[in-house]
Amino acid sequence: MSASVSSTYRNVGKGLPRRDGEEKVRGLAAYADDIPVPDGWYGAIVRSPVSRGRLKKLHFDPAFDWNRVCVVTPEDIPGENVVDMVGRDMPFLAYDWIQFKGEPLALVAAPTRALAREAAAHIKPEIEEAPSILTLREVVDQFHRDPKELHQMVAQTISKGSLEQGFAEADIVVEGEYWSGHQEQLYIEPQGMVAFPEADGGVFIQGSLQCPYYVAPELIVTLNLPLEKIRVKQTAVGGGFGGKEDFPTLIAGYCALLAMKCQKPVKIIFDRNQDILYTTKRHPSWIRHRTGLKRDGSITAMKVDFILDGGAYTTLSPVVLYRGILHSTLGYKCPNVFVDGHCYRTNTFPNGAFRGFGAPQAIWALESHIEVCAHKLGMAPEEFRLKNALRLGDSTATGQIIAEAMGTPAVLENTLAHSNFVEKQKRNSRGNPAHDVWYGVGVSFFAHGAGFTGDGESRLKAKAAIDLELLDDGEPGINIRISSTEMGQGTFTIMPQIAADGLSVAMERVRCPQPDTKYVPDSGPTVASRTTMIVGSTVFDAARKLKAQLESYASATFFGNAPTELTNGTFKNSYTSDTLPFARVAKQLIEEKGPQRVYHQFQLPASLKWDQKTFKGDSYPSYSWGCNVAEVEVNPLTLEIKVTRITSTWDIGRVINPVLAKGQIEGGLTQALGYAVMEKMGIKNGVFDANRMQTYVVPTAMDVPEMDIHFVEYPYTHTALGAKGVGEVAMDGLAPCIANAVEAATGVRLTEIPITPEKLLEKLQATASSAI
Amino acid sequence: MSTLENTEFLEPATLAEALRLMADESTRATPLAGGTDLMVQWEAGVRPPPARVLNLKGLAELADLKMDGKTLVIGAGVTHAALRRSTLVRKHAPALADAAATVGGAQIQALGTIGGSIGNASPAGDMAPSLLVANAQAEVASVRGARKIPLPNFIVGYRKLDLAPDELIVRFHLEAMPDGACEGWRKLGPRAAQAISKVMGSYRGKMENGHVGAFAVALGSVAPTAIRLHGIEQWITGKKLDANTLNEAEKRAAEEVKPIADIRSTAEYRKWVSGRLVRGFLEHLASAG
Amino acid sequence: MKTVIRTWVVNGKKRTLEFPPMRRLLDVIRETMGLKGTKEGCGEGECGACSILLNREPVTSCLIAAGQVPDGAEIVTIEGLELTPEGQELQRMYVAKGAAQCGFCIPGMLVASYAHVTGDHPDNSDAALREAHAGNICRCTGYAKIIEAVSAAADHLSHDDEDDDS
Repeated sequence: MSASVSSTYRNVGKGLPRRDGEEKVRGLAAYADDIPVPDGWYGAIVRSPVSRGRLKKLHFDPAFDWNRVCVVTPEDIPGENVVDMVGRDMPFLAYDWIQFKGEPLALVAAPTRALAREAAAHIKPEIEEAPSILTLREVVDQFHRDPKELHQMVAQTISKGSLEQGFAEADIVVEGEYWSGHQEQLYIEPQGMVAFPEADGGVFIQGSLQCPYYVAPELIVTLNLPLEKIRVKQTAVGGGFGGKEDFPTLIAGYCALLAMKCQKPVKIIFDRNQDILYTTKRHPSWIRHRTGLKRDGSITAMKVDFILDGGAYTTLSPVVLYRGILHSTLGYKCPNVFVDGHCYRTNTFPNGAFRGFGAPQAIWALESHIEVCAHKLGMAPEEFRLKNALRLGDSTATGQIIAEAMGTPAVLENTLAHSNFVEKQKRNSRGNPAHDVWYGVGVSFFAHGAGFTGDGESRLKAKAAIDLELLDDGEPGINIRISSTEMGQGTFTIMPQIAADGLSVAMERVRCPQPDTKYVPDSGPTVASRTTMIVGSTVFDAARKLKAQLESYASATFFGNAPTELTNGTFKNSYTSDTLPFARVAKQLIEEKGPQRVYHQFQLPASLKWDQKTFKGDSYPSYSWGCNVAEVEVNPLTLEIKVTRITSTWDIGRVINPVLAKGQIEGGLTQALGYAVMEKMGIKNGVFDANRMQTYVVPTAMDVPEMDIHFVEYPYTHTALGAKGVGEVAMDGLAPCIANAVEAATGVRLTEIPITPEKLLEKLQATASSAI
Repeated sequence: MSTLENTEFLEPATLAEALRLMADESTRATPLAGGTDLMVQWEAGVRPPPARVLNLKGLAELADLKMDGKTLVIGAGVTHAALRRSTLVRKHAPALADAAATVGGAQIQALGTIGGSIGNASPAGDMAPSLLVANAQAEVASVRGARKIPLPNFIVGYRKLDLAPDELIVRFHLEAMPDGACEGWRKLGPRAAQAISKVMGSYRGKMENGHVGAFAVALGSVAPTAIRLHGIEQWITGKKLDANTLNEAEKRAAEEVKPIADIRSTAEYRKWVSGRLVRGFLEHLASAG
Repeated sequence: MKTVIRTWVVNGKKRTLEFPPMRRLLDVIRETMGLKGTKEGCGEGECGACSILLNREPVTSCLIAAGQVPDGAEIVTIEGLELTPEGQELQRMYVAKGAAQCGFCIPGMLVASYAHVTGDHPDNSDAALREAHAGNICRCTGYAKIIEAVSAAADHLSHDDEDDDS
C-alpha cells in the first residue's frame, strides 16, 4: 500500500467537493431538455408494430396534411442507411427486413410534439410478418437442440491447458447453470438530443451522451458529411451507466436526418415509456459451469458455456461478450480452462452497454458457482476463495501473469476482517423453522479488467490537450480539453485535481469545460472504467509537459537560464531562490506567443501482449478488485428479502477523490442490489413488460442498507498517477453475494436473478416435496 | 406534454354546484381530485382524454374528518397524508392510517385522496382492506339525493363501482374500532417503499378470554376487488390460537383466495402468502389482544 | 383551446399566468414560467424529479393539472429554495457531502429534504430521513450521501435554532 505516495499531491487523494455541485443543487445545470432551441421542431419516430417481418410499404394517410410536417424515409438518407457501429447490420430505418418490434421505419418532425406524434400515427406500415425468437429461454432451448438453427452474432473461446487432463485429475466435478435477465439503466434523465442545421451544410448536435467521438464518426457514412461538419457537444447528462454510450448515435442520427431535411433545429426527448421500451438493456445471460476440484480444495478444470441474448442487432455485443467470457473465470487459479462464448440474436431491442459490460453476468455465475464448489468440498466459502485466489505471479485463463501487486487477496482478507464474517456465519439460519428471522451472510470476491480489453488502448490512441490561456477572469490558467464526459461520476472534478497537481498550480486556475468535438481531441469514449485510469493519466502527463515548457520559458526569460521549478503556483530560480508567481510568467508567455496547447497521447506498456484471435495474453492493462460481504434477513412468514448491511473493500489503484470514489461504489452497489433482488423485465407481446417506472422497480432510499466501504490502494504501476477503474467494479459482484447470503438464510440456492420471494417459495416447496 | 389541452375544465365552488354539473349530461365530467391515478392513465394513453374534467380538489364539503358517535367520517377529498397524520384515524381505524402511510412517497400521499383511491377501484388500491374491516360505507350523492352503500356492494368488480353517472363519492363512514380490539396492516410489494402491492391486507380483531372474540380480515390484489375472507373469519371465531389452529387457519385462508399472476407476482405466491398474512394477523392479535 | 388565468406566489413573487387548465403544473413551471430547474424523469409520479412545494407540501408537479392550483397558492421550486436559510443549508451540505452526482434527481430530492426539515417536529433518524426521501428515485448515489447531507443540515439548523433561542 502506498499512503505516502498520495501525500506528495496537493489535490489528488483529497475528497474535494464536485465542481458542478453548485449548479446542480441550484437547478441551473442545463440538460438536453433545458437548452434553448429557438424555432425548434420536435421529432417523432414511426415504429414497427411486429417483431419480425418484411416491410412492403409505408402508407401515408391521404387525409392528413403532410405539408405541415417533415418526413424522413430511407430514401431521404443522404449516405448509407446503416448504423456504423461494431457490426454494420443495423439500418437507421428498416427498409426490408424488420428485426424487432419498435424498429424505426420513418421519422417525422413538426413544430409541436403533439403534431409530430399525430403525423407519425398517420404513417402505417404494410408488413409481411415472419416468425420471431424473443427470449433467451427459447435461445437456450434451441442451443440444446441444434445451435446451428440460431442466428449467431459472434462467438469466442478462451482455452488454457487441457480440460481433459484437468477433469481426469479432479476428485469431484461440480456443475451449475445460472440465468440473468435484462436490466434497464434507468438514468433519471431520459435520452434527449437536439440537432441544429449549420449554414455550411453540416450539423451541430447537442445532447445527453457519454461519447461525443462515438456519435460524430459513426454518423459520417449515414449523413454523408465529413467529420468536421458533424459537431457534437455534450449537455449536462442526467446519468448514463452505459445507456448513453451506444444509443445516442441513433437518436442523434434521427435528429440530424430530420434537421438536415427540414433545415430547422430538431429535438427529440424520450418520455419514460419510450425510453424503457426503445433503448438498450443489459444482455440477458445463461452461463453453465463445470468445475473439477481436488479434495484439498484446488481447482483442476473450469469449463464454461456462456450465452448472451444480443437482441436484434450486433451493436456492441461482441465487446460485451469478450468482457463477459474474460471475467467468467477471473480471480481464481486454474491450469485448465475452456470458455465457449456465443451471442445470439433475438427479435427484441438490441442489447447494449451497461455498467460492467458482461462482467456482472459472468461474476453472477462465477461467484455463485464458487460458493457451490466450496459447499461440495465441505470447505468454508472464505477458505476456498483464499486458497484459490490469484496472487502475484499466478496466471489468468488467458495466460496473463499477475505481475504487479494488486488487491488480491487483500480485499478479501480486509472485508472478512471488517465484517467479522467468520463469526457471523455461525448465525446463519439455513431455513431453521425455530428462527423468527432467517439470517444469512454471504461473500463474493472478484476483479474487473481496467480499461479497454487487451491492447484496445493502443488502437484507440487516447489524446488529451491542455490549453494555457487567459480564463474568463482575464488571468492565465488552463483548460483541459478531453472528450471524457461528466455524467455524475466526477470527471469535471478529478481532471482539474489531476491537472492542477501535474502542473503544480492552484485548482482555481484549472477548468474542465463541457466536451465539444470542435475543441477537444478524441480521448476515447467515457466507458470501461477508463476515464480516470487512462485519460486522467494522459491529462497528468500533458500537464507535466506544460509544466516543463513553462519552467524552461521562465528559466530563459526571467532567471538567466538557471534551473527553474514550478511548485504550487510559484517559479523558483534554484540558484538564487528568486521566485515569480505562475500568473506573471504565464501571462507574459501568452502575450508573447499566444495561447499554448500541449497534447499528450496515452501509451500502453510495450510489454503488454494480446492476441485478439486466440484470446491469449494480457487481457487487460490492470485489474480493480472488490469483495462484498452482504447480510440478509428473510422473513419466514412472507419470504421477503431484506439486505441489512454490506461491507466491502476495493482496490481501484490510487484513489483520486475518496468522496467521489465512495459515491461510485455506493451507487454501483445500489444498482447491483436492484439487479439482485428486484429489477425484472419480461417480454410481453414482443416488448418489455416492465415499461414504466411503476413496473420497472429500482431501489428507493428505504431499500438500501448501510454500506461500510473500505479502500486498499495498489496503484497501477505503468502510470505516474496509478489510478485503476472504479465505475464498473461496484456493479459486478453483489448479486452472487446476496444469492450466497440468501442460501445461508434459507438453505436453498437460487440460480436466477432477480432473487424474489416468488422464486424462493417455488424452490423451498420443490425442496420440501423432493425431501418427502 | 399533455394531450389534455382540449379537455374542458369545470371548477365548481361547492359540492352542490358539482352535483348540478354532474346531473346535466351536457356538463357531466370525469371527477378529478388528487390526479395520482387519472393523470398517469391519461398521459400514458391508457384512457382517452376526457371531454370534460370536474375539479374536486379543495372542495370543503369533501374534507370532513370527524367522529359522529361511534362512526368515523372521512371525506372523499381527504389525502393520504392527512389520514396518516390524523389522531382520530390513528385511534379509531389505525390500519387505515398505516395503509395511507405506505401509499407512494410523501409527494403522492400529499396529492392522492381516499375517494380517488376507492373511485379508481383497482384491486391493488391500498385503502380498501382497512375500510372493509371497519365495515365502511361509501356515501355517494347526486342531485337526486344521497345514499350509503356498504363497501363490498359499492366496489362491484374490477374497476367497477355501483355509482350512477351523475353521482359523486362524498365520504366514507367507518365503524370505530371497539375498545379492546386491535388492527393490523401489512403490505407486500416489490420494494420497501413506493410500491404497488403484490398482496396487502388489514384485520380488525378482539380476543376474549383467550379466544378469538371477533375477527375481520380483508386482502387486496388477490381477486378482482379487495375482499373480506368471511370463511376464515367465521371459522376462527371462538377458537383458541394454538399452533394447530394457526396452521389450519393459514391453510383455509390460502384456499379462500383465487389470485392471478401478473407483472408483480405469481398466483402461487399470492395464494400462499395470503394464508401467511392471515396467520401473521392472528399471531399479532394473540400477542396484542 | 380555452385558458384560465391564475395568480400564484412563485418563489416568493406574485405571478399571474395564463394557460390551458389541464396542462400539467410541471409544464407550466418549465415552459410557461421558464423555470427549468424542475425536471421530468417519468411523468407518472414515480421518480420525484418534478417535485415542488405546493402550499408547503411536497408534490409531484407532473400529476397536477395546473388549473387545479387555485389563486393565491404558494409554489416553491428548486430556484426558490436558496431564498431560505434551510434551503441554503441543504444546498451547502449536498455539495459538501457529495450528495449530487448526475444531478438530475437533485432538484426534486432537495424539495423533499426541504419539506422534511421545515416540517413540524421533523424526526431526523436515519429511518425517518429515508422514508422522507422514498418518493425520489436516485440512480447514481445509493442515497447514502443524500441522507448524510440532510442529516448534517438538519443538525446544523437545529443548533442554529438553539442559538436563536439563547
